[in-house]
Amino acid sequence: MKMPTLFATVASVMLAGSAYAAGDGPIRIGVPVGLSGANSVVAPSVVQSAELAVEEINAAGGVLGRPLELVIADDASGAAGAQKAFDSLVFQKEVDVLISMETSAARNAGLPIVSRGQVPYIYTSFYEGRSCNPFLYVNAWVPEQQVPPIVDYMKGQGASKYFLIGSDYAFGRGMLEFARSYVESTGGEVVGEEYLPMDGTDWTAIISKLKASGAEALITSTAGGAPNVTLTKQLRGAGVDLPYANLAVDEGTAKSMGADAAGILISASYVTGIDSAENAAFLKAMEAKFGADLRTPNDLSVPQYEAVYLYKAAVEKAGTTDAKPVLDALDEVSFTGPRGTIQMSKQHHAPLTMYLGQVQPDGSVTVVESFKDVDPGEQCPKL
Amino acid sequence: MTLLLDIVTTAAILFIVSAGLLAIFGVLKIVNFAHGAWLTVGAYCAVVAGGLGLNPWLALPLAFAAGAVLGGVTERLIVRPLYARPLDAILATWGLGIVIGQLVTLWFGRDVQFTESLLPGTIHVLGTTYSLYRIFALGAAVVIGLGFAFLLEGTRLGLSARAIIMNEALARALGLDTARIRLVTFMIGTGLTALAGVLLTPLTSVDPTMGVAWLIGSFMLVMVAGSSFGALAVACLLFGGAQVLVSTFISPILGGITVAVLCALVLRISSKGFARV
Repeated sequence: MKMPTLFATVASVMLAGSAYAAGDGPIRIGVPVGLSGANSVVAPSVVQSAELAVEEINAAGGVLGRPLELVIADDASGAAGAQKAFDSLVFQKEVDVLISMETSAARNAGLPIVSRGQVPYIYTSFYEGRSCNPFLYVNAWVPEQQVPPIVDYMKGQGASKYFLIGSDYAFGRGMLEFARSYVESTGGEVVGEEYLPMDGTDWTAIISKLKASGAEALITSTAGGAPNVTLTKQLRGAGVDLPYANLAVDEGTAKSMGADAAGILISASYVTGIDSAENAAFLKAMEAKFGADLRTPNDLSVPQYEAVYLYKAAVEKAGTTDAKPVLDALDEVSFTGPRGTIQMSKQHHAPLTMYLGQVQPDGSVTVVESFKDVDPGEQCPKL
Repeated sequence: MTLLLDIVTTAAILFIVSAGLLAIFGVLKIVNFAHGAWLTVGAYCAVVAGGLGLNPWLALPLAFAAGAVLGGVTERLIVRPLYARPLDAILATWGLGIVIGQLVTLWFGRDVQFTESLLPGTIHVLGTTYSLYRIFALGAAVVIGLGFAFLLEGTRLGLSARAIIMNEALARALGLDTARIRLVTFMIGTGLTALAGVLLTPLTSVDPTMGVAWLIGSFMLVMVAGSSFGALAVACLLFGGAQVLVSTFISPILGGITVAVLCALVLRISSKGFARV
C-alpha cells in the first residue's frame, strides 16, 4: 500500500517538473546571499542590482520569451547557512541558475550541492582564486588581477620595503600570500606580515612593529567593515602616514571612515567614478528605481548586475535553459556593462579592467590609473 | 619605549572599558552581561552628537546621562527582582544585551557609523612619536580610577556602598535605603560604561556588535579584580601588559586570547583573584 503511493507521488513530481521546464513559466534565478552575518552590510546592494537587471530584461521582453524571476535566500554569510540556502534553491525551488555574491565559506559549502543538482552557478564576488568546478563561472577579480596594479604603482612611487597586515582568514591570508610573492617577484622586500583574528580589535602591537620595521609602504587585507575601520582608525591615531593600500575597502566603507580614509589606495574592477556611457546609464537607472533607499553600487554589486545579463546572453545563445548548453555558452558570450566588456573566457574567469583609486578627504574615490583587461592568470587549467 | 607606552595605554583602555562593570559587580554582586550593549549605546551617542553637529566632546556627558537613565530603567524593571538570583540575572542581562543590539540595528542599520575623532594626531613622548589619543586615554583612566576612589572613600554614597558590600543585612537593619543605593550604583555603572563607549570611538569601528568584542575581556578582568578598583588597575596592567608582550614577541593571534587565558589561570589558582590586593 505504501510503496505504490510513494511511487505515484514521485512520478507526479517528476511529471510536474518536466512539464514546467517545457512551459512558458518564468526562468528562475536563485540568489543565495548573506542578508545576515558578515555580508549583511553589502548584501542589500547586491540584491538591488539583481532586481534592476531583472526588471530591465523583463521590460524588454524577457529571455526566449520568458520572464526572469529572482528567488532570494539568506545564506547567513557562512557554510551552514549556505548549505540550507543552496539545498532549498536547487532542489525545492528548482531554480535554473544561481547567481550570487557570497563569502568563500558559503561558496565552498554550496558547490557540492551545485554539482549534485547540475545547475549553472555564476559567482559574482571577488575572492582568493582557484575555485574550480565545471558548473562554476566567476565574473569578479582574483588576486592576480587586484594586487599587481597596487604594487606596480607603489614601486613607481619609490617604495621597496612593504609591510602586510591582515585578518586571519582565507581571504586575508590568500590575498597577502599573493601580495608577498608578487612584491618579491618585482624585486621588493616584505619586512613584516602580521594577522589578527577577525573579531580582534586591538592592533596596538602590530602598529608598533610596523613603525619599527622601516617599511615604506603598507598593504592591508582585513575582513570588510568593522576590522577595516578599526585598523585604519588606530593607524591614523598612531600617526602612520605611509603609502597605504587597502585590499578590502570599498567606497561605502571609505565614506564611513571620514578623514581617516583619505589617501588610501584601492584597486577594484568597479568604482562609481568610471567614466562611461554604460556606467552613467546604470547609475541613473539605479537612482530612478530605488531613490532614497539606494545602496551605493560597488565592486560586489555591479558584477551581480552584469552576471544576470551574461546569463541572459548565454541562454539566448544556447536557445534553452538546460544546464549543459548554457554552461558551454557562458564563456563565449560577453556583455558590456558599467565595468566595460566582460567575457568569462579564461578558465571560467574573466579578464577585467582594474582601476587604481585614491580616497579623497570627502570620501569619494578618484581614479589614479586604470589597467586594461588584466588577465586572471592560471585559475583552473583543468577546466 | 614604545613597548612601555603600548603596555600602559592598553591597560588604561582595558580599565576604562571594565570600570563600569566592576562598579556594578562590586556593590550589587550582579554580572551585567549587557555591558557590551551599553558600550555600544555610548558609542552611538557619539554618532548622534556628531549628527546633531555638536562638539564631539559633548558626547561624553550625553552618553553618561543616556547610559545612566537607561540603566535606571533597567535596574527598576529587570534587575531589581533578580538580586537574589544572580544566575538568572546573567541570563536576563545577556538577553537585554541582544535586545539593545537589535534595537540599535533597527534604528541605525548594520553599517559602520562615522564618528569624529576626539583627538587626532601624535605627540612626542619619551623620545618617540605616539598617538595623542592613547596618552589621553591613560589620563582618562587615571581620572576615572581616582574619581571612583573618591566616590567610595570620600562620600556618603561610597560609605553606604561599602557597608552594603560588607554586610547588606546589617546595613539595611541600620536604616540604609539599600534599594536606592543599588539603583544609584547601577546607574553610575551603566553611565560610566556608556562614557567608555564614547572613549572607544576613536579606536574602534562603531557598529551594532562593537561591544561584544570587549565583553569577555572585561568580564574576566572583573572576575579577577573582585570589588576593588585597585585590584582592577593591577589586573589591567598585568594582563594588558602580557597581551602586548605576547602580541609583540610571539603572535598577535595568541595575544588576542592572553587576557582570557591568564584570568582563567589566576582564578583556578586563587578563587578570589586579586581581590585581596
